Amino acid sequence: MNSVILRAEHITKTFPGVIALKDVSFDLREAEIHALCGENGAGKSTLIKLLSGIHPHGSYDGRFEVNGAEARFASIADAGRTGISVIYQELALVEEMTVAENIFLGREPKRWGGLIDWPTMFREAKALLDRFQVVLDPAAQVSSLGVGQKQLVEIVKALGKDSKILILDEPTAALAEHEVLVLLDILRDLRKRGIACIYISHKLDEVFAIADRITVLRDGTSIVTKSAADTSKSEVIKHMVGREINDLFPRRASTPGEIIFETKNLTVRDAATNEDRLHDISFQLRAGEVLGIGGLMGAGRTELLMHLFGAWGERRSGSVSISGKAMRASKPADIIREGLVLVSEDRRRYGLVLEHEIGFNLSLSSLEQFSSAGFINQGRETTRNRHFFDSLRIKATSLQATAGKLSGGNQQKIVLGKALMTEPKVVLLDEPTRGIDVGAKIEIYEIINRLTAEGKAVILVSSELPELIGMSDRILMLHEGRIGGEFSRAEATQEKLMAAAMGHVIGATVEQ
Amino acid sequence: MRPALSLRDFSLVIALVAICAFFGWRAPEFLGPRNLSNLMVELSLNATLAMGMLLIILPGHIDLSVGSGLALLGGIASVLTTKAGWPAPVGLALGFVAGVVIWYAKSWLIVHERIPAFIVTLAGLLVYRGAFWLVIHNETVPVVAGGQSNVYSLLSTSHLSPVMGYALAALVTIGLAASFAMTQRSSEKSEAAFLKMFIGAQAVFLLVIVANQHRGIPLPALVFGVICMATYALTQHTAMGRYLYAIGGNAEAAVVSGIPVQRVVMTAFGIMGGIVAVTGFLLASYTGNSTTDLGEWMELDAVAACVIGGVSLRGGRGSVVGVLFGALIMACLINGMTLLSVSPEYKLVARGLVLLAAVWMDMRVNRS
Repeated sequence: MNSVILRAEHITKTFPGVIALKDVSFDLREAEIHALCGENGAGKSTLIKLLSGIHPHGSYDGRFEVNGAEARFASIADAGRTGISVIYQELALVEEMTVAENIFLGREPKRWGGLIDWPTMFREAKALLDRFQVVLDPAAQVSSLGVGQKQLVEIVKALGKDSKILILDEPTAALAEHEVLVLLDILRDLRKRGIACIYISHKLDEVFAIADRITVLRDGTSIVTKSAADTSKSEVIKHMVGREINDLFPRRASTPGEIIFETKNLTVRDAATNEDRLHDISFQLRAGEVLGIGGLMGAGRTELLMHLFGAWGERRSGSVSISGKAMRASKPADIIREGLVLVSEDRRRYGLVLEHEIGFNLSLSSLEQFSSAGFINQGRETTRNRHFFDSLRIKATSLQATAGKLSGGNQQKIVLGKALMTEPKVVLLDEPTRGIDVGAKIEIYEIINRLTAEGKAVILVSSELPELIGMSDRILMLHEGRIGGEFSRAEATQEKLMAAAMGHVIGATVEQ
Repeated sequence: MRPALSLRDFSLVIALVAICAFFGWRAPEFLGPRNLSNLMVELSLNATLAMGMLLIILPGHIDLSVGSGLALLGGIASVLTTKAGWPAPVGLALGFVAGVVIWYAKSWLIVHERIPAFIVTLAGLLVYRGAFWLVIHNETVPVVAGGQSNVYSLLSTSHLSPVMGYALAALVTIGLAASFAMTQRSSEKSEAAFLKMFIGAQAVFLLVIVANQHRGIPLPALVFGVICMATYALTQHTAMGRYLYAIGGNAEAAVVSGIPVQRVVMTAFGIMGGIVAVTGFLLASYTGNSTTDLGEWMELDAVAACVIGGVSLRGGRGSVVGVLFGALIMACLINGMTLLSVSPEYKLVARGLVLLAAVWMDMRVNRS
């Protein structure tokens, strides 16, 4: 057995109000591919950020060892010098530069006088690419490459720095099938050369195709580490989700009314990449119903909501109707008027005008209600603002408090209030409880109950399975832009949902 | 609404008082009725333009083309009136319509084609200046044939009679009180708001008294007053005003909140076109004719007035009152330096340094 090259011992990392990692231990051997699995929010990213020096030494408890010596990374550069390179899902290449320039970015070979030694740079870049059998022209501009090729440039760039430990965070999320195979081959080749690799992926097929060992994280703790040969996909899935659902979810049963919202065969293209991201999405929504939508990162949950709201994508086929009438509007301004409203997952980016007051934000979508001839009746506006301020129990000194200075939970309530003031029929909620504390979460759930009791319909997108199961009357799981399964509340279990999200047929994988 | 009184408000007032005191001491005629009347006209020109600039900067854009644009639009009116012999009101009306149409069309490039406003209006700065020279054939075109007067020339030479001046002051006071009452129902900071309203009304009466010692309120000041109050109402009391702040504060959130962002920004540019035309008429009338260098650098003075008045160039922050003070500071500086016979070279240096100092102070105040 190879010697341990990296060891993490009893790592605990807390953020204000959240324990991200709790006493996690983990080791990586030389020439090993070690897969890290877990749900969104299980603590994988936090662990990587510690390993790569983004969260510096001193901000966590526990210790890291590299080659037997304690490692205390103060910065990313520090971790890099120890031989650790991280390749993130979002690539960090300069699009306008050549492959060679990117590989040597920040450590360009120099001539006297500090001038860049271009011939040497291109020669060495070529040598590096050849060594790892990557067929790419070092003089090619990065923007002309495909996503898979860019990923390879990133890897070569990392290896060019003599990295001994490579961390890949969802490297295949954006890759096509054949590109994945090339990447896996290269990783196997690196393993032969003694390079150790931490491989993070939701795609269990890949994990089992390549990993030597697998560690499952859940809720910030390491649940199990096993040799890939000694375990199975269904066991890994069980470990990933196996957690008790408690009564944190006060969903009150409601009797769904008639169909209020419907999509038929929606296929939507991402205008930026010219690829279809959503395929053949059809579902119905009844008045008073909460429809949960789950799926892994990149499955298209947010894209679906943003598209329904007219803020993303180009519809290739399909139709949407509300209250039995086809929706023709294609801009948020008009869609709100038809009775649909979105609460975005990124409230600071899409939700709030942070430097303005609570009142300014609450009424922003509804000014027409209390305006005549364009002039706002500020008395009526304030009355309405105060109503939502009180009924949503926003905790702030007054309506004049600056939105940006409030806690996440209170900011979320403002965004919700703004949406609800438009008097919608259908409310799209994208990760409404992300990053807010438990108390505020329950308040948000109560608001959802209130909405359905009033006969409104809610679509709840969440990456937390317990929340989906706890708050939805019906659940759709998306898998790579398609509906991977539909479950009633009674039949939904975390295992079934996770299997559907991963594209596995229920029964075949889980209940063998 | 916003904090009723901030350090900013005071720092602007203090700066203005200091500047006036300095010039009043070095050149006593600075505070004389005759000079103050001139100052009012000069202020009106720059401040009118700065009000338009506020509407453009609030949603995060900029307009560098207004200096050339106002020369062009004023020039069109001059040529139509003096050379083609059309009635002055027709010339002015055509110039005004041209302004609104050109600016609205230009904003289409910015909003729909997503060309940065900086580039579109920089191009405009060059194109309009060239077009202006073509229109006036590189000559000096008077606004009215020699020795006569028409609506165009009267724009800058008319004054309100004393009685009308007082009537106007009373009207403004009523307007301020109405605005105060409208915000009262929504705001809790009544003392500060009342103080502001009270001082505002006092200032207007003082202005009328001083102006009446000379010839009365000059017409350009009245035009500016109307545009100033309209801009105030627009930014503080209409949905469109809210939208301008929201777009500048967070454009993505504005779209998701259902704000018709493109329509709002295009409307702001359309209004700017009208304001540019009006400023162009006032300036040509004040100068007496359209000459090749008319309006040069006025876009920068307008931006400077906004920035000194606390408008954020990134958008989302700024107020009519701040811009008014910014324009006042600029106008007093230029006018005072002229009285002290400061040479143009030093005047330019001083204007630049004041702008730099104002922004620097603003950033320090914001950081602390």
